[in-house]
Amino acid sequence: MMLREEFRSHAAYSGKERFLTFPVFVFFLSTIVGLTLERISETVTLEELATFAHLSAFIYGLSVGAFGLMGRQYLERRYGRNNYLVTLPYLLPFSFRSAFLGIFLRDALFYVVLLLVPATIGLVVVIPVMGFSLVSILLFFVAVLATFMMGLSLSFFASVLYIRSSLLFLGLTGAVAGAFLMHLITGVPSLATLIPPLEFQMNVRPFGGDASAALASIALAIAAIVAMTCAACAAVSVHIETSSQMHPVRLPSYIARVPIIKGLSLVLVSKELVDLRRSGTVAKMFFSLVLPLLFLSFAAWFINNGLAIPVGFNTVFYAAMVGFVGILMYSWLNNIDLSEYYSLIPVTVPQLIRVRVIIFLMLTLGISAFFVVGISIINGDTDLLWLALIVMFVTSLYMAALTAYLTGLKTNTFLFDTSVLAKFSVMSFLPDVCLTILSFSLLSDWLAALVGILIVLFVMLLTTMILYRGIETKWSGFSFAAA
Amino acid sequence: MPVIEAKDIIKDFGAIRALDDVSLEVREGDFFGFFGPNGAGKTTLLRILTGQLQPSSGSVRVMGTDAVEDPIGVKELVGIVPEVESPPTYLTGYEYLYFVGKVRKLENLENRIDKWLKFFDLESKKGVICKDLSKGMRQKLMIASAFIHDPQLVFLDEPFINLDPIYQKILREFLQDYVSNGGTVFMCSHILEISERLCNRLAIVDSGRVVASGDKSALVKDGEGLEEFFLRSIGGGRKRERF
Repeated sequence: MMLREEFRSHAAYSGKERFLTFPVFVFFLSTIVGLTLERISETVTLEELATFAHLSAFIYGLSVGAFGLMGRQYLERRYGRNNYLVTLPYLLPFSFRSAFLGIFLRDALFYVVLLLVPATIGLVVVIPVMGFSLVSILLFFVAVLATFMMGLSLSFFASVLYIRSSLLFLGLTGAVAGAFLMHLITGVPSLATLIPPLEFQMNVRPFGGDASAALASIALAIAAIVAMTCAACAAVSVHIETSSQMHPVRLPSYIARVPIIKGLSLVLVSKELVDLRRSGTVAKMFFSLVLPLLFLSFAAWFINNGLAIPVGFNTVFYAAMVGFVGILMYSWLNNIDLSEYYSLIPVTVPQLIRVRVIIFLMLTLGISAFFVVGISIINGDTDLLWLALIVMFVTSLYMAALTAYLTGLKTNTFLFDTSVLAKFSVMSFLPDVCLTILSFSLLSDWLAALVGILIVLFVMLLTTMILYRGIETKWSGFSFAAA
Repeated sequence: MPVIEAKDIIKDFGAIRALDDVSLEVREGDFFGFFGPNGAGKTTLLRILTGQLQPSSGSVRVMGTDAVEDPIGVKELVGIVPEVESPPTYLTGYEYLYFVGKVRKLENLENRIDKWLKFFDLESKKGVICKDLSKGMRQKLMIASAFIHDPQLVFLDEPFINLDPIYQKILREFLQDYVSNGGTVFMCSHILEISERLCNRLAIVDSGRVVASGDKSALVKDGEGLEEFFLRSIGGGRKRERF
């Protein structure tokens, strides 16, 4: 029943058929990768590709598990006009422990079927053309599935710790992040030690043939998954916060202090800022921007120094990436609170979307600029800083307008709609690739690259204006419940 | 003079017809009760009348403003208490009323807020964020926010739900005063005892169709209460099958 609930909650906005096209999209993507694997493996080795797949599956599992935290929100209040099965232990004779185990199994099944299964089928169907071994693909599926489950169970365990004790949660996340950081810097512990299914993968076809080592590592992975899941279930506790804490009145002073913005937008921006502060979302948003940037920096450093591949990563490249990564923060803004009460007052959906774009820019530009300046100093190319800051500013504006236009107030939900995802992918990927290539060309042909970058930025600015104005037309007919 | 004119309203949700050719008129100074069984279409009509939802077809004018063409214009004029009490999670009660007042560009906002917090005995809770308020307190806030701009017309969807008997009485008396001073109320409710005392006109909806509409005195027979009339209108016998 929880599976059906999860499916219906996703299908509620984009429609059943559109939502079901998502696994089809994944299937075709995987088929294309399968068909071009030989060409790809000329530049990137199969081992590196497998490592990338495992890292992605681990992060995918972590992010799916993080939704487990939402369970707390479901328990604390009605979620829009919906109630969720997770709240039923209040009324029916079964425990919250069972309900949380249900969520874990639901998430595992649902997201494996949504992504890993169609991706695997995509590789299987190209067997007649590419001559892949079915056994190798199935072993790859088992290994990636185990990695995904490790991420998921770790994330669920961390979620439970978060509810019990912030200190324990910080300790666990710090230890995990520290281990990965150590690996990035020193190479020890190895990635295969941190993610045992990767060790399994490297000991089975087509990478190796050490059956005993493979069995040992998959057994270790299964033990870790079971241990973390059992620990999470055992430690589940339900804290319903019924605090009567008095809060200082902040809204009037925010309205008085926010500069430049006037009228209704000022009131809405100030209200959203109060929400941000009280909900603690600023910290989550900060990490959701900073962590990918750190990851990006280490990846670039690793490629240049670890793999000794001389790619011309410069500040302009990072600036473009900052703009694209920053969009993660926009989706956070749409998840702080319900917005149905807006339908009772003279406010429209497009007005609120535009306000969230403004807040997104207010929050990101400072951090992004700080990051770009820092990178330019570390890289020793401060002469490119002026261009990098322009690139960062334009890409941030563009991505905010694009995401707001395509997904409105329900970013996470609409990105599961294949038609929206396809438009989003094309419209973000194209300028990203152009800016990346042109930024690399700055070292070889400075003037041509500069002119190219400025043309791309001009087109992006123009598109931003069209998209920003289009928000009114596209979303004006929507109600706050559906937008 | 009609303040609400709804003509031939149809609302479809996919294959389901929630409202089927609904027409009604509410005059200035009416206390209009809109009753019906669960799922009959009461809240859907209220949302259409207040510009929260677009009808599939039909026309709606509220205080002279077209609710389909200009829903924001309607929301500027009227007050709305929704079916589910849903103030913003992270604003305090005081801040929510301040927020609504600022959106509505009200003068003397602090005085208005103080008046409503005092009316509902929420002064000691003005610094508690809405998430931590009880359902009844959140309902009081929703009612205060609907009346804070002194509208001439209010739409109330189950306003007495979650209120204790003391505040049910206080609200009932307040609404009677409001109407006697020229205000108009459109109310959906299942609490027929209270509604009977308040409404002068009413309509009953069943399965998306209006099955009775008019002055209460003309519709409800002598010696018959609103509850009996309601059950008679919707074919109460078939609704009361026993287990």
